[in-house]
Amino acid sequence: MSKEVRQPVETIEDIVKDIIIAELRVEPQQLQSDTHLMKDLGADSLDALNIALRLEDAFKIKIPDDAIPNFLTISDIIKGVNEHLNAN
Amino acid sequence: MNIQSVVGLHQFMKRVVVTGIGVVSPVGVGREPFWAALCEGRSGISRIEEFDTANLKTTIAGVCREFRAADFFDERELSRLDRVSQLAITATELAVREARLPDSQLAGFDTGVILGTGFGGQASIEDFCGAFYLNDRSRRSAVAIPKSMYNASASTIAIRFKTRGPNITITTACSSGANAIGQAAHLIRYGQAERMIAGGADAPVTQVVMDAWKDMRVLSTKNEVPQRACKPFSANRDGFVLAEAAGIVVLESLDSARQRGATIYAEVVGYGSTADAAHITFPDPEGESQAMRRALKDGGVAAEEIDYINAHGTATKLNDASETDAIKRVFGCRAYEIPVSSIKSMLGHSMGASGAIEFIATVLALNEKIIPPTINYEERDPQCDLDYVTEGARAMRQASGRRAAMSNSFGFGGNNAVLVAREVNP
Repeated sequence: MSKEVRQPVETIEDIVKDIIIAELRVEPQQLQSDTHLMKDLGADSLDALNIALRLEDAFKIKIPDDAIPNFLTISDIIKGVNEHLNAN
Repeated sequence: MNIQSVVGLHQFMKRVVVTGIGVVSPVGVGREPFWAALCEGRSGISRIEEFDTANLKTTIAGVCREFRAADFFDERELSRLDRVSQLAITATELAVREARLPDSQLAGFDTGVILGTGFGGQASIEDFCGAFYLNDRSRRSAVAIPKSMYNASASTIAIRFKTRGPNITITTACSSGANAIGQAAHLIRYGQAERMIAGGADAPVTQVVMDAWKDMRVLSTKNEVPQRACKPFSANRDGFVLAEAAGIVVLESLDSARQRGATIYAEVVGYGSTADAAHITFPDPEGESQAMRRALKDGGVAAEEIDYINAHGTATKLNDASETDAIKRVFGCRAYEIPVSSIKSMLGHSMGASGAIEFIATVLALNEKIIPPTINYEERDPQCDLDYVTEGARAMRQASGRRAAMSNSFGFGGNNAVLVAREVNP
């Protein structure tokens, strides 16, 4: 099932969390709105790039290189995705 | 002119010994199961189950079926590691554990890594190429490059074990693993490192690679009974069997090994490396024999002292005849008295790993004083008329004071690497 099909029934938050869970192999309960991908979940810069790649595909957005450092907590990612969706 | 005699370099040379062995192979994981299988003459060749072989002429290979990646890595680590790195790191883990080297000695600038590989992260390369050509965004990944680059395994070993000495990847096709061990031994010998993690790894059993070999017509097509397909030196041999494996040794200066009371398996005494500079795939016995002579000279070992030759012995028509010729050029009449065996008959040809795996078998042969056999030998070939140890494992005789053995590795590209090892007196 593709992310686009799921989007109407899943919230942006659900999709963002699904991507992080899949990429970082973490449990859903580890994800709070202020969870930091690097400090709390041990992600590194390559993980951040992969998560950006999946977000771009799921939401059909383009995340500029200099925006990636702002995509490091769950709430920041959701905020960033919303901004990009609105900009499009 | 011999530069060593001019500057008296010999007096500064350190003796190099093997103090740890790690193997991941089609006949088992770890030194003991590996050696037991070789002595029993047990084949690790089986039918390929990992992918569809309907369009292939060869449907068998040497796959490391007893290797369970989950025993060594978590899911997240696995997502970053090509199978070749998984095999290489596991073999390293086993070798280091066996060498009983404390982390404090392993870590730092005195320990380095030299790894040989022919295909590197082949499966990952195929994966991202597939994603590109099929425009499949879901398979795109930011780790495609670090996962598939040829030095990924060596670098990951350094990161895992904090070894900060020389970190080098050698790719000389089927002689990669032997070149890696030879170069590593020389680094220790001349004081560039106190200890080295050295060996080879390859995981080339993929659909794309199997299909590419098909067109070269060098793979055995004796698919019916996989275990009997690879027949080195036998007149009815019809090619090699592709395999995956990793073989790693911990090399250490004799002084360091003795100081810490390490178990010493054997001494690495000689290394010779040459290029045929003739044809990209057709072997040249002169290039091969010159590598053997250089390895003997490098180790100060006379041809009369060699008690065993672990052959490259691929089971291709060309290799086995050329290698037999090369051995005769070096050893003359004595060639007929030296036991020569090919463990590829049991393991298949693991490309860049084979030289390391076979060096390990050579070291264990010296250590155990047993010569592993060449299995599946059926018909005499007039071009291959040496003693190929076809009746089963055999006790190793002793021609001189300390037993000595040679391991040959010859690669496509005309790369030849030969290692000579000696038993160490307790």
